[in-house]
Amino acid sequence: MKDSKTTKASEVRGEGMLTRFLRATELDVRVLGMVGALLVIWCGFDIASGLKIPNSGLFGGSFLTPRNIWTLLVQTSSIAVMTTGMVLVIVMRQIDLSVGSMLSMVAVAGAVVQVFELGPWLGVGHPIIWIAAVATCLLLGAAVGAFNGFLTAYLQIPSFIVTLGGLIAYSGVAFLLASGVTIAPMDRTYSIIGGGVPQAWLGPTWSWLLALATCVLIVLGILNSRRQRQKFKFPLRPVWAEVFLAATGSAIVLGLTKVVNSYPWPFMLIKDYAIAHHVTIPAGVSDRNGNAICMAGGQVVRCVDGLIYYTGYAVPVLITVVVGAAMTFVASRTKFGRYVYAIGGNPEAAELAGINTRMVTVKVFALMGFLTGLSSIIASARLDAATNSLGQSNELYVIAAAVIGGTSLAGGVGTVYGAMLGALTMQSIQSGMQLLNLPAAFQNIVVGTVLVLAVFVDQFYRRRVK
Amino acid sequence: MRKALTLAALMLAATSHYALAKGKLIAVSWKTFQEERWKTDEAAIKAVVEAAGDKYISTDAQNSAQKQAADIEGLIAQKPDVIIVVPYDSDAILPSIKAINDAGIKAISYDVQFEDPSALYMSFDNVGVGRLMAKTMLEKGVSKGNFAFIKGDKGDPNATFLFSGIQEVLAPSIKSGKIKVVCDTFTDGWKPNNAQKEMEQCLTANNNKVDAVISENDGMASGVVAALTAQGLAGQVPVTGQDGDKAALNRVALGTQLVSIWKDSRILGKAAGEAAVALADGTPMNKLKGVTTFKNGKHHVPMNAILLAPDPITKANLSDVINAKWVTKAEVCAGVPAGSVAACK
Amino acid sequence: MNAPLVEMRNISVSFGGIKAVDDVSIDLYPGEVVGLLGHNGAGKSTLIKILSGAYRRDSGQIFINGSEAQISNPRDAKAYGIETIYQALALADNVDAAANLFLGRELMTPWGTLDDVAMEAEARKVMARLNPNFKRFKEPAASLSGGQRQSVAIARAILFNAKILIMDEPTAALGPHETQMVADLIQELKRQGLGIFLIDHDIHSVMQLCDRASVMKNGQLVGTVNVKDVTEDDLLGMIILGKNPEKAA
Repeated sequence: MKDSKTTKASEVRGEGMLTRFLRATELDVRVLGMVGALLVIWCGFDIASGLKIPNSGLFGGSFLTPRNIWTLLVQTSSIAVMTTGMVLVIVMRQIDLSVGSMLSMVAVAGAVVQVFELGPWLGVGHPIIWIAAVATCLLLGAAVGAFNGFLTAYLQIPSFIVTLGGLIAYSGVAFLLASGVTIAPMDRTYSIIGGGVPQAWLGPTWSWLLALATCVLIVLGILNSRRQRQKFKFPLRPVWAEVFLAATGSAIVLGLTKVVNSYPWPFMLIKDYAIAHHVTIPAGVSDRNGNAICMAGGQVVRCVDGLIYYTGYAVPVLITVVVGAAMTFVASRTKFGRYVYAIGGNPEAAELAGINTRMVTVKVFALMGFLTGLSSIIASARLDAATNSLGQSNELYVIAAAVIGGTSLAGGVGTVYGAMLGALTMQSIQSGMQLLNLPAAFQNIVVGTVLVLAVFVDQFYRRRVK
Repeated sequence: MRKALTLAALMLAATSHYALAKGKLIAVSWKTFQEERWKTDEAAIKAVVEAAGDKYISTDAQNSAQKQAADIEGLIAQKPDVIIVVPYDSDAILPSIKAINDAGIKAISYDVQFEDPSALYMSFDNVGVGRLMAKTMLEKGVSKGNFAFIKGDKGDPNATFLFSGIQEVLAPSIKSGKIKVVCDTFTDGWKPNNAQKEMEQCLTANNNKVDAVISENDGMASGVVAALTAQGLAGQVPVTGQDGDKAALNRVALGTQLVSIWKDSRILGKAAGEAAVALADGTPMNKLKGVTTFKNGKHHVPMNAILLAPDPITKANLSDVINAKWVTKAEVCAGVPAGSVAACK
Repeated sequence: MNAPLVEMRNISVSFGGIKAVDDVSIDLYPGEVVGLLGHNGAGKSTLIKILSGAYRRDSGQIFINGSEAQISNPRDAKAYGIETIYQALALADNVDAAANLFLGRELMTPWGTLDDVAMEAEARKVMARLNPNFKRFKEPAASLSGGQRQSVAIARAILFNAKILIMDEPTAALGPHETQMVADLIQELKRQGLGIFLIDHDIHSVMQLCDRASVMKNGQLVGTVNVKDVTEDDLLGMIILGKNPEKAA
């Protein structure tokens, strides 16, 4: 993505430091603005929550603690995965209102397969069960998405109507599939995907290795792009800008890894694990007041000198990151992605250029459905239950995340990473307000306001730039 | 007169091809079939009505106040003797109830209350459900410490009814400082995944120092237990719920949920069916079996009411739900270690 | 100049009962520019969109190099080497010049990903021939001027070795300097042996650029004339009155 804009630092003179910096690094001002807003929100919630109940956060609150950041990332996963697909749908001037109902339907179908069908047949815990459930969710999602796309592209029914119908109809199917009952618990292996059990936590070693590998990829990517441009004698970014980008990218990855690697396992789980695996609980910890490990005088204490495990990245967060990277790749480096953007920019021109716009439409909706299927796995595994209300009104959050992240409903414009940042922003606001124990009604008002405000600021910025 | 009405009904309602000559007509306007319980209610009512030789018709408002108003107009046109209404919106329904009264038809407010003095209110005692949750928590869970309240949707009067019952029981302990309320939140749409996030944030804000969770239903309890599980606290922190969901009864057996207040829809449905049949046969409302006067609604309108007592299901009496064939033993006991629960032996 | 490059025989198409094109036959030889003239709604754009695959004909036949061609969508037309430069300057506004140039026929790396660098390099080569001042390869097409957009559109056609070029008012949105540039370009393409259909309102430029001119009125062909045999007034007469000049009959 980064190398897709022009470099013409040499052409313009007499500009400010900031402008020159942005031009050289080719960073998007709107993304920087969003990151800035996110940081302000985070700090604000940390300060506010600290005033209520002091904690170990950066500003004395509960928000900027490893635990909360870790939880926040897990909470964002389900919506973030779907929003990467919604960006492409909206870029192509379509909309998918059915993702929430589809999520419920697919999750219930996956749960029926593992709990009602295969569980009794193969015996609970059989490894085929979770694989079959995952496959069911992904395939069903993709198929339903493709069906939405087919109705839109080949029968020429506006996608707003097709997916509005889906929004209503799929929730009905979700109900009928299990006659409305909550299906629980999920298969043990399946529920790892939700991130709520220790098996779903990567641990510090793997988290660091993964982070380092990512940093190497960032540096290699920047070097490769530079070498390519050199080969064809194209204008290059200044070396300091390249170094800055590599350093910032790596710093973010390493910093985040540091944060998730400092969130210790909940104490009760450490105890359970120690007992189950015959690990000796260090002396001096369990005998304080004779309480459970790491409890002292009825207070939870840090296990600095005791037995301690750190969580590292959770499986759903890894899935989300991989999906984000894959979707960025699809959007910017494949024919399919190029066509989606071209169709969004000018559907007629794309058709005249010989692009099979109908097939691309079907593929985009199928991809959206596939991601919804993936998201339904994360959501039901995390709740360890599937209900027909699981995805209710998710479509609104997914669309809002994409729009907050700079996707234009007029089509043609939008980025995957922007939309994911949008999802993180919305979840931050919700989690922060829950942390402050503010009423749900108030949360709705704030999220709604942020949506409108974000689009206003974006429009204002675009107009001013023109 | 009745014959004329029946003829009129036949002519008005083109869809009605039943012969209505014998037996009475009992109509039900359901607010939704989105949750598993309503089909059970319907089966119970229908069984009683048909056993009495009467006819049963129904409509589904699909969670829309507007559709329900139209549904009731349509039902009135078919001239039933009694209309049982499960209101989607207990205030918006009142004009429709007036139309029922004006047509000389008797109305029953089923499960959810609308406040019309000429109607009969039939429900489980919802304030009682709240009381039972709190009482079970104090007696079989914990009686002091940090309490979290995960309440239902702010727009549903039952969420408030429940909470007033909970408050009633816990108020003395809260006042004396024995119980400290650390989290208190409504949950949009009673959604389990919202409840899960609320519980996660509640635990984060309080460093896991939460001793009891009063969740207003079983669906939300599933989210609460998922959040507690991630902190290794499931089974350590008692959680309440209601509805007798299969998954919740399984949690009760597993020990991760303290209690599910069970309102047997079949008993309520049966009672409502019997009341409807009796009303259709001309029994005066205040002469029905078990009728009392209820005036603790939102607007304190006095109404004839039949309020049934719910049943708190804990580990100790799990066999009740199995014996009543509400759930199977296999469903309740899935994954329960042998010998840990009496009902699973 | 034996077999015609394109021959459209007895083409008819109607929209909602109105005959937009009624039994029209025209042809085009290599290295030739044929002008298509007529009022708005005379049917010339519709006729040409049948050739480019944007519309489907109701009846009639199309021959390319003497053999019958099946053209039912833009992809088919492109397979026959037919490229179109549309009046509406059909570019995708949100992607850059290089991406527009290669839209539908992207260059790929050996790993199956878009080779943006190679596409930009090719784009730079082609544009250096057409419009040496053009430098804005990495900006979205929306930010380009009308002339720049037109040169991208023409470059697109050239890049794919078009045999038959359809230009729908290629100079309508351009200033005098850019118009001259396009005129030079047409002469150059002619020398390279392309056949060009040129739709234009400006009789003067038709007289200057075209070898032959076909005039349409109300969906029907009035006639086809050799441009050097007629005057501008003759052509005007054909367009307005639908009458063939005597000497060119």
